[in-house]
Amino acid sequence: MTSLYLYAIFNGVVLGMAIFLVAAGLTLAFGIMKIFNFAHGAFFMIGAYVAHAITGQEASSLPLFLGAALVAAMVVGSVGVLADLAIFRRLAGVPAEYTLMAAFGIMLLCTGVTRIAFGQSVHAIYPPAALSGMFFVGFPITAYGLFIIGCGVAVFLLLEIGLNRLWFGKLVLAVARDPWMANVSGLRVQRLKLISVAISFALAGVAGGLLVANQSLSLDLGHSYLLLAFCAVIVGGLGSIRGAFIAAIIFGLAESLNSVLLPTMPGIGVYALLIALVLIRPQGLYPELSQ
Amino acid sequence: MNRAAHIAILVLFLAFFLAPFLVHPGLVFIAGFAMIQIVFALSWNLLFSYAGLASFGHAAFFGVGAYVAAAALRDGLPLNFVLVLVICAALGAFAAFLVAIVVLRRASGIQFAVLTLALSQLVVILIGYSEFFGHDEGISAIPRPVMNFWLFSVDLRQPLVNYYFVFTVCVLAIGLMWLLVNGHLGRAMRAVRIDPERAAFVGIDVWRVRVLAFTISGAFAATAGALLAPWGQIVTPDYVNWLHSAQPMFASLLGGAGFFWGPVVGVIGLSALNYLTRTFAGLSEVLIGGSLIIVVLLAPQGILGMLRHLAGRTGAEKPGGHK
Repeated sequence: MTSLYLYAIFNGVVLGMAIFLVAAGLTLAFGIMKIFNFAHGAFFMIGAYVAHAITGQEASSLPLFLGAALVAAMVVGSVGVLADLAIFRRLAGVPAEYTLMAAFGIMLLCTGVTRIAFGQSVHAIYPPAALSGMFFVGFPITAYGLFIIGCGVAVFLLLEIGLNRLWFGKLVLAVARDPWMANVSGLRVQRLKLISVAISFALAGVAGGLLVANQSLSLDLGHSYLLLAFCAVIVGGLGSIRGAFIAAIIFGLAESLNSVLLPTMPGIGVYALLIALVLIRPQGLYPELSQ
Repeated sequence: MNRAAHIAILVLFLAFFLAPFLVHPGLVFIAGFAMIQIVFALSWNLLFSYAGLASFGHAAFFGVGAYVAAAALRDGLPLNFVLVLVICAALGAFAAFLVAIVVLRRASGIQFAVLTLALSQLVVILIGYSEFFGHDEGISAIPRPVMNFWLFSVDLRQPLVNYYFVFTVCVLAIGLMWLLVNGHLGRAMRAVRIDPERAAFVGIDVWRVRVLAFTISGAFAATAGALLAPWGQIVTPDYVNWLHSAQPMFASLLGGAGFFWGPVVGVIGLSALNYLTRTFAGLSEVLIGGSLIIVVLLAPQGILGMLRHLAGRTGAEKPGGHK
């Protein structure tokens, strides 16, 4: 029985890391653009499709798999730059609802373009041979699961150290917290914003490329992760990387333990937890100062 | 301009009224569906443009109406369908009231949006568990009812009667909403949206107005859902999930959220886009997404706002505000 719970906890952490990979870009975009980017799921899906187009059904080697994720990041990042230049930048002063609609419009547009370009069929994707192993430590552990945990922790550390310790990260934080003051003190606000938006979208692309294995790749791929990532971003405190990381693990565990403890009611734990957490702490676990 | 607007509304009314005699049955079906969506979109816009609350889970209330009506018809409850409609509206109002008193206490802005979204997804999941509501498959092949009044009976199994039943209920609902937003409550709601603090100063109970607006909006959304059961004859969880919640937003924004008639124009526009691109998978999403982006960028006041702008350029000065 313990091994069942341990297995569920391991799976929950893997799922939590997967959620975090999607939520990281989302929360970064929120911190900087002050919009809730509904299109993030669609960009995630595009990243997955791009990686699939490069590697095929099963990547022949680990470097190819990682390379495909990198290419996906670059493609999605440049699409994000285009979207920011053409759309989001012009909407800087308007009420948040309109920006949300625009993001929704981009999401539909991306889904439609992907449907036309790649078709409606569902593809099964497998991780490369190097990651398809299994270990037994009382319960089964997949190498791919460990790989995802590693990726999640790596992205978290990169962002956390990059934003709080490095010079460039501090500039980005300054722009996010007070663009006007940053502008007065001589920072190139628009350029910094553009770079961080590109990073945020590139993160969606990386997440798509890394998480595509062990999934069925379809046009709905974005939606399933997007809602969970939304939950993590909200509960974590809008715009906070650390909060999103912790909240993502909480939701991953909730989803995974839900299937062990309440097997007849799949999927209810996350939303019940979300509602409870938002009602208890509407400002999130780590409220961002700029709110 | 005002005269033009009145004429346009009259033309629209006549177009829907005469639709069964003008176009083929496929389009009549879409017209009926569009009327239901119009009521749904208006109920959302009532909340958004007048009370300033953007609900992202409005499909949950639509779903309450749709599922209750569908279950009642499937099990052949010996109730007049008009009574079923009233019950659905009351249940929708009750559900919305519960959500409002929980959510409005704590959350605003984005938290409000996400909480309503999460609650509606919870409803989708609960429906998925429920044998009674047909799990993920929904309820299909819903029989159309025969309503017996004292002097006559209305047989919804006849397509023409069915269309005019949906038409009548929708026109009544639209009329009610119009009276509501132009009455005392509508003005109180607008005051709350524009400046809650000042509204409280002049003696408006802000919280009560918001809860009331949410409750009323939920009732109309549930009514629209209840009409779907006999019209579409199939109710699935797709009508409850967040993508359906987005439909009234699209419609309101496309038509012009600041106008009472905006969602009507938006729904007709969206239906037309969907109909014209129905054979080409993906194209409708590209067109709808693209037009949303264009509207937000170039005409944030929607189609009606653009028309008023054009009219204002050629004609005399127009007073601002909602009209």
